[in-house]
Amino acid sequence: MSKVHLFLLLLIVVVAGVILSTVDESSSYEDFATAEAYPGKEFHVVGTLHNPGDMQYDPLKDPNLFRFYLKDQAGAVRLVVYHDSKPQDFERSEQVVIIGKMEGSEFTASKILTKCPSKYNEDSVDVTPQTRTSFWSMDDPLRNLTLDHAL
Amino acid sequence: MTYMGEWLVPGELGHASVLISFITALLGVISYGAHTRGLEGGRTLSWQGLGRWAFGLHSLAVVTIGVVLFVIIYLHRYEYHYAWSHASRALPTHYIISSFWEGQEGSFLLWMFWNVVLGLSLIRTAGRWEAPVMSFVFLAQLMLSSMLLGIYMGDIKIGSSPFILLRETMQAPIFEQADYLKYITDGKGLNPLLQNPWMVIHPPVLFLGFASTLVPFAYAMGGLATRQYGEWVRPALPWTLFAIAMLGTGIVMGAAWAYESLNFGGYWAWDPVENASLIPWLCLVGGLHLMHIWQKRKQSLPSATILIILSYILVLYATFLTRSGILGDSSVHAFTDLGMSGQLLVFLFAFVLSAALLLALSWKHLPRQQQEEPLWSREFWLFMGSLVMALSAFQVLFSTSIPVWNRIFGSNMAPPADVVAYYNRWQLPIAVLILLLGTLAHLLPYKGSTRIPWKKWFLYLILPTLLLTAAVAIPLKYTNWTYILLLASALLAIIGHFGLLWQQQKIWLHSGGAVAHIGFAIMMVGVLISASGREVVSLNRSGYAYGGQFDEKQNRENVLLWEGEGLDMPPYRVTYLGDSVAEPNHYYKVQYEELDDEGHVIDRFILLPNAQINPKMGLIATPDTRHYALSDLYTHVTQVMDKEATGSSKEWAPPEPLMLSVSGDTIMVRDGLLIFEGVTTELPVDLATQLQDADAAVAARVIWKTLNETYELRPVYAIRKGVEFRFDDMRQEAGINLSFRRIHPDKKQIELAASVAAPEPRDYIIMKALRFPMINLLWLGAVLTTLGLSMAVVVRHREKNGPRSFSLSKNVDET
Repeated sequence: MSKVHLFLLLLIVVVAGVILSTVDESSSYEDFATAEAYPGKEFHVVGTLHNPGDMQYDPLKDPNLFRFYLKDQAGAVRLVVYHDSKPQDFERSEQVVIIGKMEGSEFTASKILTKCPSKYNEDSVDVTPQTRTSFWSMDDPLRNLTLDHAL
Repeated sequence: MTYMGEWLVPGELGHASVLISFITALLGVISYGAHTRGLEGGRTLSWQGLGRWAFGLHSLAVVTIGVVLFVIIYLHRYEYHYAWSHASRALPTHYIISSFWEGQEGSFLLWMFWNVVLGLSLIRTAGRWEAPVMSFVFLAQLMLSSMLLGIYMGDIKIGSSPFILLRETMQAPIFEQADYLKYITDGKGLNPLLQNPWMVIHPPVLFLGFASTLVPFAYAMGGLATRQYGEWVRPALPWTLFAIAMLGTGIVMGAAWAYESLNFGGYWAWDPVENASLIPWLCLVGGLHLMHIWQKRKQSLPSATILIILSYILVLYATFLTRSGILGDSSVHAFTDLGMSGQLLVFLFAFVLSAALLLALSWKHLPRQQQEEPLWSREFWLFMGSLVMALSAFQVLFSTSIPVWNRIFGSNMAPPADVVAYYNRWQLPIAVLILLLGTLAHLLPYKGSTRIPWKKWFLYLILPTLLLTAAVAIPLKYTNWTYILLLASALLAIIGHFGLLWQQQKIWLHSGGAVAHIGFAIMMVGVLISASGREVVSLNRSGYAYGGQFDEKQNRENVLLWEGEGLDMPPYRVTYLGDSVAEPNHYYKVQYEELDDEGHVIDRFILLPNAQINPKMGLIATPDTRHYALSDLYTHVTQVMDKEATGSSKEWAPPEPLMLSVSGDTIMVRDGLLIFEGVTTELPVDLATQLQDADAAVAARVIWKTLNETYELRPVYAIRKGVEFRFDDMRQEAGINLSFRRIHPDKKQIELAASVAAPEPRDYIIMKALRFPMINLLWLGAVLTTLGLSMAVVVRHREKNGPRSFSLSKNVDET
């Protein structure tokens, strides 16, 4: 067997290693139930903000502590703790992906991804009335009219 | 209905130009293809001439599309959807240029434009390669122009036109009015993240990089199609070098943009969009070195051909990944899905299949090496190095494609939780191998050598490397073996290639290869030191105050700064001095004072991290960075006080009655001193002029002293025809409102009512400060790499055209 063949064989082994490690180390999208079954293992949990009123973030007390309740796609609600500042516009996100692990009854997130409905992606026309007078007159049909239409 | 005020001519011109560009591209493919197949056009028609003619018309059409689209955006013609969704009136001109390529259509157009420029250059220089190469350039243009068609074939939408009207894209009652345009006064504007100088320059360079990978691909495919299996390599070499230089520069500019204007705290996050452009680059670099082997030793042609073809297919795959919406949640900055993923897939498969077919047909004709290369030869180690590059590309590709695997296999994989650590675990050892193999290969001659100067290598190469590694690693306290190995191999590469420069270069231009390798190695040192030594300056040291649950390891990178109150972040004292607004940016003035051991200020400077408080996207923080020669101090805000909610509308406490002696009195109200000095009939001027003869009016002379200010107030009490009137004195700036309620002659008292504003909330910011040591090495290395590559482009270009008077490799051989 020549050197090149030997090297190619080695390469195949490494390629197999890459594939296996990707499959092995990749996290997976799960719900809280799975995360609870494997405490300490990192998962991606997709869900929505539950009871926005219960969200706790007081930067004056601790800028690195943010707590909120997340409802996963199976409907389970858990307290999520995030040791960083609250992502801006968090309340407005329509979907939240948290990456982290269960610790006791709390989910400790190391990363939060939010998906906001009103990012620049969708089309909505803000119709600006042309003159100030029409803006103030109540009977102007176009007053403050906002149309939302996804493409 | 006829709509008023619409300017439809440019749109029609644009649509027509898109159609012309598509048809001429088709014509170009056919005519250049026919010429390549050796068809003779007869006496009056030359296929190649027809191809050139098509190219001229095609170029004109592409330029017209670009000019028309730019004019529409520049003139704010919001009847066009593209202008409306990517621009706004407030945008300065240089960002109007960025809005041109913010959308998919504009960026496809940019890509087409570069292809046209490349095609023009190819027609002038390619000589006998013109027809086969231009066939593939036209094939690429056919694909790209179809992306702009925006026509329907039955239910299938082909392409998305940049000239579509706003009223055609959505149904809304407003469009039932003929004069609807009057109400659409502004566009949606450019994504604030893209309102950055880097975004003016990064996309054109990156797309030039993407576009130029087409040329080596076209040469390789043309070589296969015309059965000139090895001949394509020489003319394609300068183009390969050029593509590597451009794509690499584009990638590094993207990293610089991320570092300067995004707030994830770094320049590379292994984000799918970043990876997508890195993969073809890695492949191309591997291919380049295999092409060199073929040029010198007539070996490794099959692998060179495969890697070069793959790199363009990977560019198409990257396009598919970033534009089909398949990345979904896993990336922050993919394009919006325009519903063209099917079309992108069709093209991707078309290119893959035609490449695979051509390769399969010519596989057994590809020249192979007759005997095995010697172990201690340059070609052997170059070949190994190229395979490792390909492996690196494969690892990034396989992991980045997780969303694709999920779609194909219905699996549920998510990217690794700690993406950066995951990629680094693979890519750091690979970088070590590449640096080592690259250096070793360049130290060895082609064809091998029986006498390896081990002693010389040890004395002048390995020993200095070990000493230098120790000199760097010990002060940095490296204990991680991968770091130490990476450092050592990068230093070895630097020393080794400097040695080569020193020994052999008679003509400076020929040292491009060595310069590029030195640049790459310096870049790796910069990456290693800046990433491993990244230090959080703003560590929140008051964490213990929040109870025992605080874990030492936990992230405490954000820190609260009250306005005007200094906070120690060794070696700095940091003070937030207040903000200023230049719409749409809010600048936060953060003063850094560097202190020596005795607490004396030795340096003082101000950073202005800014934030756009965007109604659509929330807070978009842009860092500000202090650049030192040896490190960068990087600062951005993570939270700011919401002044809209707390600042502007003052809340007034309910009025509080105050009984004061007529002769004078002093009383504490909230945190100020209220001094009543008596009543007077002298009224404030504005009231005095309104006074009528029968009126009775008195004013109270009041002085209101707060900590810093003294105010004089004159509340007035008046009686007109038996009716009481009170003229309050309200001082917004003092935060007090005084009302003269009544006079009690019996008690010799007057009654005032004071209401005080709630105290102004103190301004604060939450910020993060990071230090990146030695990051300048990264940029320096990138510049050197591009410089070296450009030198090589020039050399290879001359070599391709002129007689072989000199060659880089020949010089290198002499060592």
